[in-house]
Amino acid sequence: MTQSFKARTIETKKSYWTIFPGLCKGCGLCMQKCPKKCLSWSDVLGVYGTPTVEPSDECIGCGICQIFCPDCAINVSKKKEEKKAG
Amino acid sequence: MSVQPAMPKSWRVDTKPHKFCPGCGHGLVLKALGQAIDELGIQDRAVFGCDIGCSLLAWDFFNVDTIQTHHGRTTPVITGLKRANPNLVGIAYMGDGGGYAIGSQHLVNAASRNERITVILVNNTQYGMTGGQMAPTTLPGQKTETTPYGRDPEKTGYPTQGPEMVAAITREGAYVARGTVANLRQLKNYLKKALENQMAGNGFSFVEVLSTCPTNWRTNAEETWKMVEQELPRYFKVGEIKVPGGQKEGEANG
Repeated sequence: MTQSFKARTIETKKSYWTIFPGLCKGCGLCMQKCPKKCLSWSDVLGVYGTPTVEPSDECIGCGICQIFCPDCAINVSKKKEEKKAG
Repeated sequence: MSVQPAMPKSWRVDTKPHKFCPGCGHGLVLKALGQAIDELGIQDRAVFGCDIGCSLLAWDFFNVDTIQTHHGRTTPVITGLKRANPNLVGIAYMGDGGGYAIGSQHLVNAASRNERITVILVNNTQYGMTGGQMAPTTLPGQKTETTPYGRDPEKTGYPTQGPEMVAAITREGAYVARGTVANLRQLKNYLKKALENQMAGNGFSFVEVLSTCPTNWRTNAEETWKMVEQELPRYFKVGEIKVPGGQKEGEANG
């Protein structure tokens, strides 16, 4: 049986941003690659007892942090654009 | 089941989190390799050989047949596997210490014989597992455990240009490229082309990858990216160096 990881999903304005604290080692590579610089350290600890990251509301859901995570600890899904009224 | 990590299908999920240090480039290279294996659909016939050094920590990384051998001897072992069963796709995975210093004779001989295997060499400019000593690829002026005042090219020479050397000694049909973990889409394309080149039976495929080592560089995330994106490409030119027959990436449009 494959193991499953506990997810922590944060809803921002434009995305559903998920981190798996059981995979995050707190290297911080994602924080530097974020084009909006909207990631910061959180109080939730990762697998090595280091802080994990969390996004602010400025997240645009581009998924660059997901691409550059060496541990696949981040999963980003963009919210679908809401249809304008009328 | 709730959301699960977006790992490549060929990764072995029950051995994650993997054994590499926080911020290690191996995770990124193996992610790109996993995606390349997924896209080519060769998980059942690929053989992954890892070397001595940090690269051996990938021994349980994939759901792919894996073998672990001595310094740089991954190349001849994979060569033997490929000769015994040409249907396999042999991937030799090594670091710069194993590939360029201790086991360079195997790399040179396999390349000049034009063996139909794929060699992936991860270059982090020093020996990571033993604590960060100077390697053939250490940059001039870079501080390591054995060069505390920075590497002096007068005394210890200039960094090894591995792909250029391999490109010079291989015959027609070889694929030689240098990728970087700062550009993963390009890296995945290079790895995919290298595997396709092997499956087409053209010849030796070699990809060097510029990688990170925050533990031994003693850098934080910001300095790590600066090192990979700015310092390393000053001595190691990223791009395709030798392509069988066709045009190199980016040259088609003039």
